[in-house]
Amino acid sequence: MASGNLVRGLAGVALLAGALTGQRFAGFFAQELIAEAAILGIFTLSLDFLATCGLVSLGHAGLLGVGAYLFAGLTVLSGLPPAFALAAAIAGGALAAFVVGLFAIRAQGAFFIMVTLALAEMFYAFVFRNRAFNGADGMGGIPRLDLSRIGVDLNDPQAFSLAAICVCAAVWLLLELVCASPFGRALDAIRQNPHRVAALGGRVYLYRLAAFTSSGALAALAGALKVQHTNFLSPDLVSWFVSGDVLIATVIGGLGTLVGGPLGAAILVFLKDALSSNVGHWYLFLGAVFAFVALAMPRGVVGFLLAFFARRSPPAGNTGDAP
Amino acid sequence: MIALETRALVKSFGAIAVTQSVSLAFEAGSRTALIGPNGAGKTTYFNLLAGNLRPDSGAVLLEGRDVTKLDATSRARIGVSRSFQRNNLFPELTVRENLALACALRAGKTTRFWRPMRGLKDVAGEAAEVAAQVGLTDVLDTPARAMSYGSQRQLEVALALALKPRVLLLDEPTSGMSPQETALMRGLIGRLPRALTIVIIEHDMDIVLDFADHIVVLDYGKVLDQGAPAAIRASQVVRERYLGEGGARL
Repeated sequence: MASGNLVRGLAGVALLAGALTGQRFAGFFAQELIAEAAILGIFTLSLDFLATCGLVSLGHAGLLGVGAYLFAGLTVLSGLPPAFALAAAIAGGALAAFVVGLFAIRAQGAFFIMVTLALAEMFYAFVFRNRAFNGADGMGGIPRLDLSRIGVDLNDPQAFSLAAICVCAAVWLLLELVCASPFGRALDAIRQNPHRVAALGGRVYLYRLAAFTSSGALAALAGALKVQHTNFLSPDLVSWFVSGDVLIATVIGGLGTLVGGPLGAAILVFLKDALSSNVGHWYLFLGAVFAFVALAMPRGVVGFLLAFFARRSPPAGNTGDAP
Repeated sequence: MIALETRALVKSFGAIAVTQSVSLAFEAGSRTALIGPNGAGKTTYFNLLAGNLRPDSGAVLLEGRDVTKLDATSRARIGVSRSFQRNNLFPELTVRENLALACALRAGKTTRFWRPMRGLKDVAGEAAEVAAQVGLTDVLDTPARAMSYGSQRQLEVALALALKPRVLLLDEPTSGMSPQETALMRGLIGRLPRALTIVIIEHDMDIVLDFADHIVVLDYGKVLDQGAPAAIRASQVVRERYLGEGGARL
């Protein structure tokens, strides 16, 4: 794995450098796109961490929504400080994932996908009609975190996009560390062969529950940042389109590579913007691009890079990162 | 002392009674071979021992403790470890990583999420020891999927050994192997520590007669006969019912 880790690390550093450079010089509108990509990047990391133990969710927007609605509800409706609301949103996302995971994780493969999708759609139907949150009309006036104590005004688009990049990078680093830990290696082993982990005395269900709970916390973090970014809460955040987008971004970048998610998020956000402002029927073109990437690079951009460098590097005795 | 014991174990799949009231006791440190024709219920009995299947009735006892209700994971944690008839490895991990993972699971260290796996020196040391025990030291850094079939079979046994079990269940360790690979595996299992209680399913009669100090013959889910290799070799019932023309080889 050594050379693979190097490739992924370099990809991450390059992406971060690109994002920071772009953020330094970008105009108002591009700042918004950068912040959007960074927040989607956090969301992809949440999904990809779950994929580490072999679970793919198609209802991750539900967990994003828990964070978004908790943050909006606690700040706008209850008047609590945004910092508290942010912490509560993350905890709420973890709790929601834990409760859902208790039974959803008993299902696997396609069944897990269907259970997560169904639950997210139930949540969507609920918030779509919920009066307290203005139902389908959504709710505006959601405040951003107050960082004036350290001299940062997050209402400034440039400051906010920088903060979003920093949070995304921090989450990435944290997950890199967790994935290299014994716990992370056990999750990866479960993805490869859950039956053998069970035969070796590993409680597969509990590991997956822990991964799903952590993933829920991160998805909720992304949701709480998302509503701060747009200052607006809408049930559309919970729609299966959002679950699909995060999965597409992660797959484009490279499922199971961590750094691939934020890269795919950047590609998705900027491609969407370029296409939608220049081309009619732009979703059709977007679909064509994704179909091409999926065929040309079945393991995503980062997966492609990993395979490319694994072929080029000599099969050194102590790395053993053969394809 | 009896390490592992089954009492009147019964298991049916629908109308087919695959295990019919099997009562066996495995002495601590004994090496028992389970033999019998295909469909005799050997692997089913193994699954009952390891906890992969629940019996319809009867009991499984580990060192006198009733473990019938424990699943395979729980039994692995208290000292019953098994290898599989078909390779059941972590294909993307190297031999070192495969074994380190098993050692870390055994040591209960896989709940740590803050420091890197590589930092667990004791686990790395144990993994290297197990690799040496099965003769995989030269390929420690080869991914499992890139190894020869024979080496993969060795790793299959090594993963079970890495749990430092008290009872080791080996399900056809030589299945699908070439004669050279079989000879290697024969040496490997012959060198296993004497204190370990071993139950083995094996079709190669040379290995069975060489390795086991006790042989159990299963037929249609029942114990047809059991005893020392010499006694089984001489048994008229076994010759007629199981060994058939192969009995001439004994």
